[in-house]
Amino acid sequence: MSRFRLFVLLSLTAIYFAAHTSGNVLDELAFDRQIAPLLAQRCLNCHSGDETKGNLDLSSREKAMAGGESGPVIVPGNADESLLWQHVESDEMPPKKPLAAEDKLRIRAWIAGGAVWGTETIDPFRYTTDSRAGLDWWSLKPIQNSKPPAADDRLWNKNPIDAFVFARLKDAGLSPSPEADKQTLIRRLYFDLLGLPPTLEQINAYLNDSRDSAYDDLVDELLESPHYGERWARHWLDIVRFGESNGFEYDEPRNHFWPYRNWVIESLNQDMAYDEFVRQQLAGDILYPTDGLAITATGFLVAGPHNTTLPDNAKMKMSMAQDELEDLVGLVGQTFLGLTVNCSRCHDHKFDPISQKDYYQLAAALAGVTHGERTVLLPLNQDRTRMIDASLKALLQELNALQEPVRNKILAARKSGTTPLLPPPQARVVWEFHHDLSETLLGLTATAKGETRFERGALVVDGRSAYVETAPLPFDIAEKTLEVLVQLDTLDQAGGAAISIQTLNGTVFDAIVFGEQQPKQWMAGSNSFLRTTPFGAAEETEAANRPVRFAIVYQQDGTISGYREGKPYGTPYRQGDLQLYPAGQSQLVFGLRHTPAGGNRMLSGRIHQALLYDRALTPQEVATAAGVAALNHITQDDLFDAMPALQRDNHRQMTAHINRLNQERQVLANQQPQVVYTCVSTNQGVTHILRRGDVGNPAEVVSPGGVSAVASDAFPEALAPNAPDAQRRTKLAAWVTDPHNPLLSRVMVNRLWLYHFGQGFVATPSDFGFNGGKPSHPELLDYLAHAFQSLGYRLKPMHRMMVTTAAYRQASTVREEALALDAENRLLWRKSPSRIEAEAIRDAVLVVTGQLNPTIGGQGYRDVEHFPFKGSNFYTSIAERGTEGHRRTIYRFTPRGGRNPFLDTFDCPDPSATTPKRATTITPLQSLALFNNDIVFTMADHFATSVKQTAGESIDKQIKQVYLRAFGREASLDDVQLGQTFLLTNDLAAFCRVILNSSEFIYVH
Amino acid sequence: MINPLFTRRRMLDWSTASLTGTILTSLLMRDNAAGAASLTADATGSPHFAGKAKRVIHLCLCGGVSHIDSFDYKPELAKFHGKSLQSEERPATFFNQIGLIRKNDWEFKQRGQSGLWVSDLFPHLATVADELTVIRSMVAESANHTPATFEENTGFRLNGFPVMGAWVSYGLGSETDDLPSYVVLPDARGLPAGGTINWSNGFLPAEHQGVAFQSKGPAIHDLFPARELPAGQDSTSRELLAEINRRHALGRGSEDALVARMRSYELAAKMQLAVPLVTDLNQESMATRQMYGLDNETTADFARRCLMARRLLEQGVRFVQLFSGGSFGSPRINWDGHEDVKENHTREAGRMDQPVAALLKDLRQRGMLDDTLVLCTSEFGRTPFTQSGADQVGTGRDHNMYGFSIWMAGAGLKHGVAYGSTDELGWKAQDKPVHWYDYHATVMHLLGIDHQRLTYYHNGIQRRLTNVHGEVLRDILA
Repeated sequence: MSRFRLFVLLSLTAIYFAAHTSGNVLDELAFDRQIAPLLAQRCLNCHSGDETKGNLDLSSREKAMAGGESGPVIVPGNADESLLWQHVESDEMPPKKPLAAEDKLRIRAWIAGGAVWGTETIDPFRYTTDSRAGLDWWSLKPIQNSKPPAADDRLWNKNPIDAFVFARLKDAGLSPSPEADKQTLIRRLYFDLLGLPPTLEQINAYLNDSRDSAYDDLVDELLESPHYGERWARHWLDIVRFGESNGFEYDEPRNHFWPYRNWVIESLNQDMAYDEFVRQQLAGDILYPTDGLAITATGFLVAGPHNTTLPDNAKMKMSMAQDELEDLVGLVGQTFLGLTVNCSRCHDHKFDPISQKDYYQLAAALAGVTHGERTVLLPLNQDRTRMIDASLKALLQELNALQEPVRNKILAARKSGTTPLLPPPQARVVWEFHHDLSETLLGLTATAKGETRFERGALVVDGRSAYVETAPLPFDIAEKTLEVLVQLDTLDQAGGAAISIQTLNGTVFDAIVFGEQQPKQWMAGSNSFLRTTPFGAAEETEAANRPVRFAIVYQQDGTISGYREGKPYGTPYRQGDLQLYPAGQSQLVFGLRHTPAGGNRMLSGRIHQALLYDRALTPQEVATAAGVAALNHITQDDLFDAMPALQRDNHRQMTAHINRLNQERQVLANQQPQVVYTCVSTNQGVTHILRRGDVGNPAEVVSPGGVSAVASDAFPEALAPNAPDAQRRTKLAAWVTDPHNPLLSRVMVNRLWLYHFGQGFVATPSDFGFNGGKPSHPELLDYLAHAFQSLGYRLKPMHRMMVTTAAYRQASTVREEALALDAENRLLWRKSPSRIEAEAIRDAVLVVTGQLNPTIGGQGYRDVEHFPFKGSNFYTSIAERGTEGHRRTIYRFTPRGGRNPFLDTFDCPDPSATTPKRATTITPLQSLALFNNDIVFTMADHFATSVKQTAGESIDKQIKQVYLRAFGREASLDDVQLGQTFLLTNDLAAFCRVILNSSEFIYVH
Repeated sequence: MINPLFTRRRMLDWSTASLTGTILTSLLMRDNAAGAASLTADATGSPHFAGKAKRVIHLCLCGGVSHIDSFDYKPELAKFHGKSLQSEERPATFFNQIGLIRKNDWEFKQRGQSGLWVSDLFPHLATVADELTVIRSMVAESANHTPATFEENTGFRLNGFPVMGAWVSYGLGSETDDLPSYVVLPDARGLPAGGTINWSNGFLPAEHQGVAFQSKGPAIHDLFPARELPAGQDSTSRELLAEINRRHALGRGSEDALVARMRSYELAAKMQLAVPLVTDLNQESMATRQMYGLDNETTADFARRCLMARRLLEQGVRFVQLFSGGSFGSPRINWDGHEDVKENHTREAGRMDQPVAALLKDLRQRGMLDDTLVLCTSEFGRTPFTQSGADQVGTGRDHNMYGFSIWMAGAGLKHGVAYGSTDELGWKAQDKPVHWYDYHATVMHLLGIDHQRLTYYHNGIQRRLTNVHGEVLRDILA
């Protein structure tokens, strides 16, 4: 052996050894992990697909071994003889940027080791490498239900979140900070959950609450506040890039886009499950075609800029449409999945396993979205409705407290001397109609229609428009018994029903009907009289004078029996089979035979009680039910008889008030037509992959679909390429919200954490791909994501979980030794302080000066004047006028071309750019705005006036009052002295202006 | 700048992204070591290499200037006047009305020592032709005003991306504490379509948004108190605020943000002095005023803004952007000559020609042109055929995204040259086509910025002004 050959052999051995120990080049798995990604990234752009350079295709074993124009390029076992190696070694290939030395080594060792091939056609997405994420990227893996580590510190063992945080701190040699004081905590919680400062009364109540549960109770209280929705909707609108004009050249105002903003606020206040929140925004118009709110929700899809300046040239138009579609694909991918799918429009994603095909599948799923306006039915005034509900709740509690002792007294008197009856049969649902539509057993909701009211413990229906319908019954009904206690206005009525069970569309029903086929007779009404035969009983004579109990029993074999006052009514009969009423597709209606309302189907009278049993009662049970009911039923007259006069008057006033509120609530529940700016569904043709994203260069047709890297059951079979929009978006919504999709939950809990703690586990909230990096607390992130799913995707329990942690309650004071180790506070050794956002600054100014108009919902206010000029639209600043202008900043009309300079200086984002995380800057323009803007002077005047009202003329008291209101703390002696000196030569308003500018006012610690 | 609470985070973002990050990091470290955060921590030097230019004036001409009537001389137009364009496919234009070819409405002459062709549309500019670097082979991706304007200024066709002025502010910061780093001077006749969208910071921090100077009242919003105050109140208020803020910061450890906030009020006070000074044109000599055309009704608006631009640059402002023209529609108040190019361009050029020529002369006289870059662009050009019936020679021209001209002047450029060319009729770029991203890359290069390395992370990408494109036009560099 020559020395030369020996050298080569030794070198090869060294390479072989190196490769073998560093990464196993020789087996199939190693090929997939190391060589395939290298080929995919550096070679396949030219050497795969339809038009290969030099006729060489390196994407599969067979083609690679076949070689190209110059013959075979790989000689297994012999790198030197392989053209591939020669070109790589000489830096001829890849042409512009040669391979790095270690990559060359890998290629050489691979060929030398026999050029073993792995998975047949190279899937460049399969494995994560140093430069890109693969299908095994952490965020795409299923969510793990992580077990919290055991924390030895008792304080940090209370909450599982703390255990995770504490363990991580301990690993890094850090310790947590002590709990912040109560004044700091309440201010922190208020700004975080409501975006508002606490008032003096709220602070005092909390400071004086020494119970252990005081903090937790405060959290619960704030989460129930309607201002919560306003605060958190702002975060969502940042992401959605909600803007109320079209942008681009014309920038037309969107005068009817505000209902979407209100929908977000309301949905958050009601704690709508997040998956449903997402579904409605993607496909509410299709999933719930008659629900005005769900149609409003799809405003999400059209929230961004939209160019209405259209060229006459078709290709130019297509190109514009593609640009806007890319924007939408980006929004959907980033918002819900943390995937930057939009980066794959021109080529496969450079960092994440998202192919160009994935992009066009998703683009096809969204292709039917167009901008427009629709007229929908919306509830009138949800804010007022909420206030009424709160008042009603309180009044009813009060009334009940009043009645309870009287009721017990009556019952005790009745029972003494009588023998106890058998226990009554158990109904499934019961309405007592004391003062409202609450259902006693399940809390099933019901809605009043038309002119209903409550009077003397009964539901009054007028025979014209009034009736009540319940929510869908959540259980199947086969055998059944219907029972009512009802008084009629007149016996001369025909066809109305006291109670009816029906399918949701009203076409199939069974009902207790009065006088329809025969005058003054009760009968078992049914659709087309399929199950109706007169009972043949005596005429009713009493029901107009007093309430009468009537029941109908439906047996399995089809037998139907009537009972009046617990006794058999006429003759039972069999006609046709028992009608089944499936869960979710059936409901009860009261005062109406079946929907729709109108005609002779309406009852005129008072319904005192209505019951549904899910079985056929025996005659004995019916009698017992009637007897018990009679004994237990206490009319208002009974109550009044047992009350002293004063109590009776009190009772009357309260019931009158309740009735008034109920009537107003019914009017409000009626929906009103409203124009909303929202998605208008259109059916589009097929979608092509566009080479390099160019509309002039279409390639193959794709079907609407999702991103294949995301696990989901929703697109198992492809839709037809020309499927209608309804199918496309229904599937899309199902795909995004599929429980197997780990990203939906992970991305959202990361956002919540970001807003509570100032930074997310993943620093890039809308990018969970390779560029987003890895989470700071991976186990905790998964623990929370899992909890979020388990809790039915409800946000409020997640908020509660996060803000009740010891981690959240830490003091914010800087500790130098910790700062040195973790300057960014990624590990949470303190609570990071924050400057409140632009909106919160303006809102806080309005609160402490007593000027906030707290109205929730509605159209919002305008601080710009809109004027069209030469076809374009412009928006110039005007003063915020009157109380309407003093609403919370989220209600600001936000045209893209008319930003508010005051808010802008405090980093209010461009409504054209999605902003998952706001920047916080400190600039001189900010200081000028807060020091000189008219709103600050105006508010300082109000502040001073209001302080004087409380504090009188004493300068000391005024200063103290200002500090209490603005900072939520007592002024120190030094503070007072400082203020005194200033006030020698300046007025209180000037002092207030300074306070509104202070760091303490706009920072939360 | 800066909330240092946030800065530490941002520095990390940057340090992986660009050299800028490194510079900023070191500056902040120095500041931290000194125990005080500075608001001027933005780099004032060129971040990547020594740039020839230190500051920029951008003249943004809205509507689409006819290159074949201004800087792109096409003798063949006269020959083909009244004939139809010979082309394989029907030309794609915005209004899709393809009339007959029309010759240039202004006579072209070779100017100065360089012999650069400039038409009589710009008689004053023609006198400084030797200062100009004309690019005659521009290509845009859109023939629709706003997307094309966005592309011209941001590199992208959609809303929501930062404009070049914001990028330059982000990359270079300001040379002064007393003034914003990026100032916009809109046309007195109205804002360009889209208003403030045109100087948006996009996803960059808000401090990089263009500050539009108002032509009436104080130049900057809220520069002075919204109402008249008793003597001394403003200064005693400021003192009280400083003391309250100082006390608040005490005992919170080294919370840089709170220190920075106190400093921002000091800077605001300096701005109150600096802005009125810089906008007071009465300080200029009569000769200068006359040279710019300040006292002539036609040129007064542009003259005022050109002069103010020079004064702003002198005081350390980094980027000044002037708009020529407002929004679209009729009657026209910009360069969008669909109906009658001659009438339209005569008016528009008449407003700006003399002031711009004066600006170039003035900058040269003061030695500022050596390190100042002047840019003059419009979003696209106009068609060689008229926008009219197919058998007519009309008077208006439609949008032309396939070929048009822009010019630059000043630092680091070869002067009196023209780069690239369109076809013989000026319809499409032919020799050395230049896209907006090449232009952006070149401007950045002149400022000492590597356009591939000045990035900002946004939604999955380290975003650049030039997206994934851009070649520096080395042939036009001095």
